[in-house]
Amino acid sequence: MFKKLIEKSFEKSPWLFHLNTGSCNGCDIEIVSVITPRYDAERMGFKLTGSPRHADIILVTGPITSQSRDRLIRTLAQVPDPKVVVSIGSCPRSTNVFNGSYSVEGPLDKYVPIDVSIAGCPPKPEAIIDGLAKAIEILREKRRAMK
Amino acid sequence: MKFPYLKEAIKSVFKKPSTEIYPIVNKEAPEGYRGKINYYPEKCVNCGMCIRVCAPGCITRTIEKTEEGDKITFNFYQGQCTFCSLCADFCPRGAIELTKNYHLAVTDEKDLLVSGTFIKKLPPKPPVQPQQQVQNQQNQGAAKTE
Amino acid sequence: MVVLKYLFNVLVFPGLLFSALVGLLLSGLDRKVVARMQKRIGPPIIQPIYDFFKLLGKETIVPRAASRRTFLYAPVIGLLALVTVTLFIPIYKYTAISTVADIIVILYLLTIPAVALIMGGAASGSPYAGVGISREMVAIISYELPLVIVLLTIGKHVGMALNKGVITFSLSQIVSYQAEFGPMITNWRLIPAALALLLIIPIKVGSLPFDIAEAEIEICEGPLVEYSGAPLAIFKLNHAIKMFIMTSLFVTLFLSGKGTGILILDIVLQVLLSAVIVVISISTLKAITARLKVEQVLKFFWTYPTALALISLILVWIGR
Repeated sequence: MFKKLIEKSFEKSPWLFHLNTGSCNGCDIEIVSVITPRYDAERMGFKLTGSPRHADIILVTGPITSQSRDRLIRTLAQVPDPKVVVSIGSCPRSTNVFNGSYSVEGPLDKYVPIDVSIAGCPPKPEAIIDGLAKAIEILREKRRAMK
Repeated sequence: MKFPYLKEAIKSVFKKPSTEIYPIVNKEAPEGYRGKINYYPEKCVNCGMCIRVCAPGCITRTIEKTEEGDKITFNFYQGQCTFCSLCADFCPRGAIELTKNYHLAVTDEKDLLVSGTFIKKLPPKPPVQPQQQVQNQQNQGAAKTE
Repeated sequence: MVVLKYLFNVLVFPGLLFSALVGLLLSGLDRKVVARMQKRIGPPIIQPIYDFFKLLGKETIVPRAASRRTFLYAPVIGLLALVTVTLFIPIYKYTAISTVADIIVILYLLTIPAVALIMGGAASGSPYAGVGISREMVAIISYELPLVIVLLTIGKHVGMALNKGVITFSLSQIVSYQAEFGPMITNWRLIPAALALLLIIPIKVGSLPFDIAEAEIEICEGPLVEYSGAPLAIFKLNHAIKMFIMTSLFVTLFLSGKGTGILILDIVLQVLLSAVIVVISISTLKAITARLKVEQVLKFFWTYPTALALISLILVWIGR
């Protein structure tokens, strides 16, 4: 009876959590600038939360360094289903200029399947809003396939 | 107890908000923006300068030998690109161009690959002469200059 | 028949359904007004309803180091106490339950949701939750004192007129006093008390600049850090109902009166006045201030609102 309302709500109010695994902070600044009054993402219901247990969409930036690899796996395991992993920038996709370094543990593909990837170094905030709109549709499909 | 910005906050309620409604109103990138790569294979001469200069090493090429010449394919992987445009600056023929297209949010990895193929014909070979004719030509040339 | 009437009061009006709906709408209005003050388009006003239903659709994870029953039942206890409080607050002439000592019952029942938050945080078994619940205890200590003084002031003022000089604790008597003599805010002796209550509403509801307990990025959301799914939805619902109760209490104590005679118009008037109080006291402070430190909150509440309420108490005592 409430199924349709719950499915519609997944489209209208997704909550984000931002995870930085050793990036140069360029992509992090672009993520925070999506919340500012110029590109206001809150009109579509997005909200940055403080705890991974409250989130639906996880934004990952940075190449996975060896110090942050265990923390990444533990944090991703704490997010309740249904969830969507979005990689922002070219560092998580394939470790950009840090290829083959002694402290970089490889692209994000080795640990978790990526749903949406937004390329750019750093990507423009409008491209981030495009990627988030695609992530919302995938989230709704995952919720429909859950029960 | 001071409350700064109180007057500005109350005045902003009645003014128009300064948000750009992005998906409904399209936005164009400014001049000189370095976005997605455009590759023109008809201008390329296979010198390999872009591969030498690329910092993350995202350009690869494959060569196939066919009967007309060499079939050369260049692959630019946008998932590793830093958009520094050194490849466009160093290319001697201007075969690489960075456009103003910033829509790079994809769900499938294969959309991030820009590639182009061209066939490089080898220059025509000169006809092969037997040894005696070459000697006769050289003797004739030496007799004329004398 | 009486059982059916009480069931209707508890479940539909003014109990669970009515106060949940109005509370969620007031919370959405607060977010929209804050966004407009910061010069941006905000979320739509029915956004908290979408938030609530989305949280019902996520899975519930109970951590291994948590005690299971306390973890799952803590928000439900808070919800039950809040629904009971809504039965006591009058809407211009209609109350579900009206007794001789309304104010004492409301004061005691209103501490239960805060204690439920502390219980839920303590049952989580996480160090972030431990830091959060100690801050929540500091917040409770700081606002209890001015709140009691404000309520005693109004009780004494009404009691001098209608109750032969003894403090009155009944909210229906306060409403009938205002029906005779006009709203309480027109009396110059009680204006400092109104200002004190306007400053107490943000910390009770948990919004800036006094939200040292929950919803923080610096300690990973405080006591709510391990909650997910349906218990988190009930905690957010508690937060919305608390907003409705506190503003409705302010309207009853200071801006009530005869009202119109028709029930529907009375309800609409009360909700509209609550919305105005939300905009004045909660949204304006949230849009322009940052968060205070823990010791600054304690120092602030034991100087300014306490002083204002004491001034009102002394003026009421020596007047008349």
